Amino acid sequence: MKNNRTISSYLLISPYLLHVLVFVLFPVGFSLFLSFHEWNIIGPMKYVGTANYEKLFQDQYFIKSLRNTLVFLMIHIPLQIIIALGLAVILNEKLWFRAFFRGAFFMPVVVSGVVVTILWQQLYGFEMGSINTFLMWLGFEKVGWLIDPVWAMPSIAIMATWKNVGLYVILFLVGLQSVPKSLYEASELEGATRWQQFWHITLPVINPTVIMVMILSTIGGFSLFIEPYVMTGGGPLNSTLSSVLYIYKQGFFYYHMGYAATLGLVLALIILMVVFIQRLVIERKPT
Amino acid sequence: MRKTILYILLGLFAFAFLYPFIWMISASLSEERSIAHVTLWPVAFSFNHYIKLFQSIPIARSLFNSIFVASLVTFGVLVFSSMVGYALARHRFRGRNLIFYFLLFTMTLPFQLTLIPNYILMVEFGWTNSFAALIIPGLLNAFAIILFRQHFLSIPQDLIDAARIDGCNEFRILFQVLWPVSVPTLITVGIITFMTIWNDVLWPIIVIREENLMTMPQLVTLFAVGGRSLGQIGMKLASATLLALPIIIAYLIFQKHFIQSMAASGQKE
Amino acid sequence: MLLLLSSCRDQAQDNNTLVFWSSSNPEEIKFTSQYIDQWNLANPSQPLMFQPVPEGQSSEEVILAAVVGKTTPDIYANMWQGDVEDFASSGVLVPLDTLDGFLAFLYERCDSLVIKEITSQDGHIYQIPWKVNPVMMMYNPLLFEQAGVDGIPKNYTSYLEAGRLLKLQQHWLGISEVNAIWWQRFFNFLPLYYAASGGAPLVENGKAVFDNEYGIAVFAFLQQIYTRGYFPREQMKGQSDPFLAGRVASSFTGPWTIEYNDRFKPEGMEFAFQEVLVPDGFTGPVYTYGDPKNIVIFNTCKDPEKAWQFLQTLLSPEADSDFLTLSGQFPRRKDIDTNPLFSEFLQAHPKILPFARQAKYVRGMDSAPYMKEVLDIISQEYEACVVYGLKTPEEAIRAAAKAVDLLYIHL
Repeated sequence: MKNNRTISSYLLISPYLLHVLVFVLFPVGFSLFLSFHEWNIIGPMKYVGTANYEKLFQDQYFIKSLRNTLVFLMIHIPLQIIIALGLAVILNEKLWFRAFFRGAFFMPVVVSGVVVTILWQQLYGFEMGSINTFLMWLGFEKVGWLIDPVWAMPSIAIMATWKNVGLYVILFLVGLQSVPKSLYEASELEGATRWQQFWHITLPVINPTVIMVMILSTIGGFSLFIEPYVMTGGGPLNSTLSSVLYIYKQGFFYYHMGYAATLGLVLALIILMVVFIQRLVIERKPT
Repeated sequence: MRKTILYILLGLFAFAFLYPFIWMISASLSEERSIAHVTLWPVAFSFNHYIKLFQSIPIARSLFNSIFVASLVTFGVLVFSSMVGYALARHRFRGRNLIFYFLLFTMTLPFQLTLIPNYILMVEFGWTNSFAALIIPGLLNAFAIILFRQHFLSIPQDLIDAARIDGCNEFRILFQVLWPVSVPTLITVGIITFMTIWNDVLWPIIVIREENLMTMPQLVTLFAVGGRSLGQIGMKLASATLLALPIIIAYLIFQKHFIQSMAASGQKE
Repeated sequence: MLLLLSSCRDQAQDNNTLVFWSSSNPEEIKFTSQYIDQWNLANPSQPLMFQPVPEGQSSEEVILAAVVGKTTPDIYANMWQGDVEDFASSGVLVPLDTLDGFLAFLYERCDSLVIKEITSQDGHIYQIPWKVNPVMMMYNPLLFEQAGVDGIPKNYTSYLEAGRLLKLQQHWLGISEVNAIWWQRFFNFLPLYYAASGGAPLVENGKAVFDNEYGIAVFAFLQQIYTRGYFPREQMKGQSDPFLAGRVASSFTGPWTIEYNDRFKPEGMEFAFQEVLVPDGFTGPVYTYGDPKNIVIFNTCKDPEKAWQFLQTLLSPEADSDFLTLSGQFPRRKDIDTNPLFSEFLQAHPKILPFARQAKYVRGMDSAPYMKEVLDIISQEYEACVVYGLKTPEEAIRAAAKAVDLLYIHL
């Protein structure tokens, strides 16, 4: 009886074992192997030792892509947290039409990123985009949202915030609603201001959510592809070149498979490091 | 008074989140040269962009492709992930904990690492330009397994014991006894998986080059980026609208489930 | 679960039919199918099948996907010259010079400069030149006249001067592509570089050779144009064609524009073509970029000799004449302007005459690997230096050359 059960156990997990072997373990190993070669898929593989790594450390475009990601994150993360938290706090109150507002905020989250990108590309249009038209109506100058090297990445960061905020509003709401009302009432009796309440009661409770938002947004920032691919092609002046877009270019435009694998490997390591450091620095135990 | 301000704020934000979609739909229904003047309603109403769109690219076909691929993968994920989740939660066997920690570990691996090698695998297997490349690599994912395991941990043992006494084998237990009481998890995993596969563009762009096999987001992306749209804003917006439509409709109907699923997924991170 | 694509290829493999892919250009499709039908009538036991290249993002991508997926045609007729070396060095093309009668045919068709250009690094020849579309300067004579420009400028200084005068009239001197995408250099840097240097190559023996006075001069000239505001940085897409709307006075383009202009131009508008600009004091023939497309045979072809026999009929003088008449694109022949077969068409279409004369002085693309990436590298520097004025021409050219050398360092 027990043996049958054990066989069943292994049967149950066998698809997973097979799948992970082929699509996770092998690729990780092959990635390493490939990073020491030069290959364009259609010809023979050529061993090049550490040449790809040497190239990578001198690669101004890879470094630029990391800097671009940093620009993106520095705008996207704070914006996201502030807006999502703010809206969640408001929605936490007793208001009418809460479901409607929640639904509205969440709409961009479910829609495909491609839709958002194509849509915002038009909104950001220099000559005829709605945003510039609105600015001019207010009496301001047009802004080269996607054609100015200074504004291009921030524009993408704003768009990404618009797309994702709804999700984090929901997550913050869940966190906020888990705070027992009694805590607030008790602190009010002791004369705490709304701000003190927020700082000492609310924040510690939602701290895990804040961390999660940061980590998810960071991983998202390092995974940007569709946005620059569709909106700017990586320009102007490579200001929107994301690391994944660069890997895509190296692998599927120039067919430097070995180098692309090397980039993927190093980028993965960087992401793991960044997330690890984030957890270390930001994690605060709730009091 | 304070509440009024809150309502105004909420209203402004709701407008900010909804208006672009309204603009998109209206612009796609306006003549090309009038698009710059569109604010809320179509100007110079015309279906032209949609007509030309259907003539240029196999967009209906791509919708079918997306539905087909996403459905198959979702079904596969539900089946296989629940299998593994069940084994991890309620079975004892050698290596169980090892596999569980390994699972957690694989969740941290960024996709950037496996992208290129997986593509090469597709080439070697001869799966490029085939649905196999879109479906098979997605059939299992660690996140779904963890959700199922979590859920199955909370199932009362009596339920399983009773089924075993009745002579059910483990597979029957899983699918005939456990699935019916796991509907929320099934829905959550189902929605998340479906959305993820539906929205994935990078992978199809890499492995599928033939237009008739492209997924809808992929086709719309390449249409918007390539020269086929001839720089016509109206057609691009029409393609984006068509892409958004199925999901928006599903969302409006199943709004609660969508929101709950995404929220659950966030919590489990 | 494997959905096998039933392609014509599978059918072809069953009965020794050869598959021929052409571009998706309607005139080329018409031309090619005509000659394929003729061949099939004359050779029923050795049939050929014809397909326009499948749709995709770009035909290069489709071809590469076909190689990867092992679904290549036997003959492909629209390969950009710059791609050939990558395929050749990967061993997927048939060395045509091993085929019966190829070399004799080639020497009759092309002169020695062209042949040198298409010879691969290993000494073999993997492509046969088919057609070129020379890039020339298109101009609106009325706009220049109105601005008070004396004649049409031919060199850098006079062009810049014309720009100044046109700007006073609120017209743009011209417009050109400004993105850092490789093929956009076909219409600015490349033709001017070939003109200034008399057709010098970009790379040679695994090193960049464009970091010379000509490369720098071209960058400097183009940078001046943008600095002084004679060309707009915005591409003015989504509105009517800026040249036809009379907003820009010139641009660099190929013969395909003639038909487009004739169809859409407003009443009374004139346009003409001349060679692209050269540095002051330049003498000699003015070269330009020809956007050459050539024909190759993939090594999956079971009968290259038969394929070559067919190609000889497709590339005969009579066929070339048909092609020119049908599509307005120039076969890359050394006698394009002397052979009486072509003169009838040329007389009937005077606008295209400048291109015919120019077709003798075109440069294609070096037979080196990674040419797309080389052009991309140049484009990056082009964007920074010419369009945004952030680097001096010397810095930009040096940086590009250095990056190209790094690219080739593992060869």
